[in-house]
Amino acid sequence: MAQDVLNALTLGSLYLLFALGMSLAWGTIGILNFAHGSIFMFAAFTAHLIVQEVSLPIPVMILLGVLVGAALSVLLQVLAFEPIQRRAVDHRKAELQILVGGIGIAIIPLAIAQRITKSVPFGYSGGSFSVTTYDLGFIRVSNIQLLTLVAAFGLAGLIGWWLRAARPGLALRAIGVDSEVATMMGVDRRRLALLTMAVAGGLAGLAGVLLTYYLGSIAPETGDAFLLKAFAAIILGGVGSIAGVVVGAMVLAGIETFVLVTTDGSWTPAIAFGLIFLMLLVRPNGLFGRQEVRRT
Amino acid sequence: MNTWWLSNQILIQSTFISLLLALSIQVPLRAGVFSFAGIGSYAIGAYTAAILTIRYQVPGIVAIGAGVLLAAAIGYLLALLVARLSGLYLGMATISFALFLGVLATNGGDLTGGATGLFGAISTVTTEHVIAATVVVVVLLAASERGAFGRKVDAVREDPQLAVSLGVDVIRVRRVVFVVSGALGACAGGMNSLLRTTVSPETIGFHLVVTALTMIIVGGALSWAGAAIGAVIFTWLPTVLQSVGEWQLLVYGLLVAIAAVYVPNGLLGLLQTGWRRLRRRGRRIPAEGAAAPTGVVVQEDPESELAALGGPTTEARP
Repeated sequence: MAQDVLNALTLGSLYLLFALGMSLAWGTIGILNFAHGSIFMFAAFTAHLIVQEVSLPIPVMILLGVLVGAALSVLLQVLAFEPIQRRAVDHRKAELQILVGGIGIAIIPLAIAQRITKSVPFGYSGGSFSVTTYDLGFIRVSNIQLLTLVAAFGLAGLIGWWLRAARPGLALRAIGVDSEVATMMGVDRRRLALLTMAVAGGLAGLAGVLLTYYLGSIAPETGDAFLLKAFAAIILGGVGSIAGVVVGAMVLAGIETFVLVTTDGSWTPAIAFGLIFLMLLVRPNGLFGRQEVRRT
Repeated sequence: MNTWWLSNQILIQSTFISLLLALSIQVPLRAGVFSFAGIGSYAIGAYTAAILTIRYQVPGIVAIGAGVLLAAAIGYLLALLVARLSGLYLGMATISFALFLGVLATNGGDLTGGATGLFGAISTVTTEHVIAATVVVVVLLAASERGAFGRKVDAVREDPQLAVSLGVDVIRVRRVVFVVSGALGACAGGMNSLLRTTVSPETIGFHLVVTALTMIIVGGALSWAGAAIGAVIFTWLPTVLQSVGEWQLLVYGLLVAIAAVYVPNGLLGLLQTGWRRLRRRGRRIPAEGAAAPTGVVVQEDPESELAALGGPTTEARP
């Protein structure tokens, strides 16, 4: 039982790291990035390619994942989302076009990774880090689990605090409410958008590397599955709310683990979809979402 | 011709089926409703047709028809359920509806054949039937894009509030769109499972959403013709791209990305803009001294989206 709770918390932390950046970008600069899953996978994959050549310790691997994720995300923002937002006639059209663009771009890293790995799962067997498990009698916890938990809750707390207390955080929230007025108040929308995308990509890269260590290996297609889970976590908690995405990720992981333990697990994929659908019907703003300020 | 027809039969069938599937997303999109329920309807149609054919040996038309009716009814109920949602939220809700059906099919036990799906749905449906059905659908949709009804739908897309104030029943248009999308998706799904004689949960997934969406976006989202262009391109692209071998998927992704970012109105939009420019140039030359008013009207063409809101339309112009 305690073991299941710990596993659920670890899974929830991985969902959280992944969903945090997506929720931030969607709730503030209005970008729902469908290529987030591909960035996540490709950051982990790049780390895999490098660790096959040189044996690297885990801090370098994590740094690598974060950097690759952030770089891809910024590249995506500059090459795709910025031109779309600049040209689109209205907010709704831009949203749709960003979604479709993301779906299209997501195919590219996936195709490259599938081509190189031949769709075989990849891992970090070449690295110098080894997963050790500590047996505490009633519970078994690995060092990678501890690292994931600390990273997820620490970063979620940090970002939540930054949004609330720091001046750029306030500016970012202002863009989320009304980007035109925020720009008039002297907010540099472009710079903050790039920063948000970099943070989102970095978090995705971190989640990718940690997941690969945790599971031993991941397949190139893992990104798509994570994307849909992240949606469920975000919708459950409320778009743009940091507390919401923490709760959403944990609740989703908790229910999934519970169903997996008590049944044969064939219904597990349906939980995320069911949660999204029910939540949108009952409470579209999510558990912690503010009343949506609709920009027209 | 005949040998080409026979050797490419599968591709020809899938071109028309993909067109129907793409239309099931394009029809709601034309009314500004961002719904992927058509993908779910595809699943409903595919499984209904297969189950009826295998278990009750009903004729193909009846099996597909039952699926279409069922999906249309479910589409109507879904429209009532998600009436509050719009934009991305509606998209997410309908994607999860469609993917949920996929999991449901995996867990359906004997009825849906579980993870392996159903086999042996043999019927008399042929390529000609598929083409005939698609042509009927396309003619009806093309008709719905013209005249008063077409303008109504355009108004609902461009500005729902304005449409309401002009007396357009926006809620009704949205419901109709859900029903039509359900029927189209189910028709595509039913025909596909009867032609292939099998259906399995793997055929219904996120990739189907991606396929349908890319066809519409690359082709052009505002008309059936765009969906047709997209369906032809993406069904035949793999055959053309055989020369690049394993990088096929990469080329595919690049095409979609470029189209989505830089050509928002799709290939159809490009063709239309080009056609307008050609026409304008053709008119300008004789219009030097004679018909100044024509020149003025034609200059309004780039703002033709405004014309959709009840203003002078292309047909009304000289």
